[in-house]
Amino acid sequence: MSTHYAVSKRLHRSTALQIGAVLVFWGLGTALAVASGVPLPGGILGLALLLALLLSRRLSALSLRRGTSWFLAEMLLFFVPAVLAVLGHREFFGLIGLKILAVILVSTISVMVSTALAVEACYRWTSRHA
Amino acid sequence: MPDLSLATLDPMALTGANVLLWSVLTIGSYAIAKRIYRRWTHWWLMPLAVAPVLVAAAVLALHVSYRDYMRWTHWLVLLLGPATVAFAVPIYEQRLLIRRHWPVLLVGMIAGSLTAIVTSWGLASLLGLDEALRLSLVPRSISTPFAMEVSGDIGGVPDLTAVFVVITGITGAALGDMILARLPFASALARGALFGMGAHGAGTARAHQIGSAEGAIAGLVMVLVGILNVLMAPVVAMILA
Repeated sequence: MSTHYAVSKRLHRSTALQIGAVLVFWGLGTALAVASGVPLPGGILGLALLLALLLSRRLSALSLRRGTSWFLAEMLLFFVPAVLAVLGHREFFGLIGLKILAVILVSTISVMVSTALAVEACYRWTSRHA
Repeated sequence: MPDLSLATLDPMALTGANVLLWSVLTIGSYAIAKRIYRRWTHWWLMPLAVAPVLVAAAVLALHVSYRDYMRWTHWLVLLLGPATVAFAVPIYEQRLLIRRHWPVLLVGMIAGSLTAIVTSWGLASLLGLDEALRLSLVPRSISTPFAMEVSGDIGGVPDLTAVFVVITGITGAALGDMILARLPFASALARGALFGMGAHGAGTARAHQIGSAEGAIAGLVMVLVGILNVLMAPVVAMILA
């Protein structure tokens, strides 16, 4: 019990240890995906595993909060290299690029409006019938 | 795309030095982009836009192939996996909100996802974009780790999807403001869902600036819709095929 306490206390304090713990959950999720043959990415299975531990109170959210916040706050960094793929598509810097931009703009507006309209209508309906 | 660079692989030592150099350069560009945005908060100066431009400038100036660059810094992209795991904590912390509003949010996420698929696919077809582009455009409303996963599942090009996700994030935060100025939705639930569904991380950041309830809902919708889409991807692939 005392060693468990000491470990969780150190984990509470150290962002680096928490980042390591998140990596361990990712590794477990990936191993689980490979072993079970479930067609889901290891990250999602790791998320499910961690969420199950949090919900069953086997793990306190406080002991991982700093590590997970670090990952979420710096997530943008992780796909900077992927964005450079645009350099392999010189055709994007022309008419095709404009077409793609048009699709993205119109589609994004449609997605936002339809989502908000659906949520608003549904929310009104449920609060009237609650 | 055949990987021609495989035939001319660098010696191990040179690769190691390049991995170090380009990783430091990427992390440095990202840090600079964040500082720029802290100083001048214009939507088009988002780190999301500026960091890749800085890196691209370095890649072009030093005459490095973008493919080599992507190989050397691929470990950074792999960290999107643990970033997905990290979403467990905000989901756990918003469990009361989920329990109370899950039917409403689910309806919004389904409406938004269907609209994203239909309008991306339909408009891209209408404008004569080829199939790889159409499929890569479909998952661009969801958060990157999920979007790249879905893109691969349905036959798109994950790297292209990453580019489209970024463009959606940069423009989406500004588009959301425009929409709210014309259609003032009464509930924080609708305002938050609009940003989380339409513009993932960038939208969530904008929603946080509007209000804490909007921010929490946007973040929640962003995560849940990512998972929902990964689970739905095999079905979508079957329908689009």
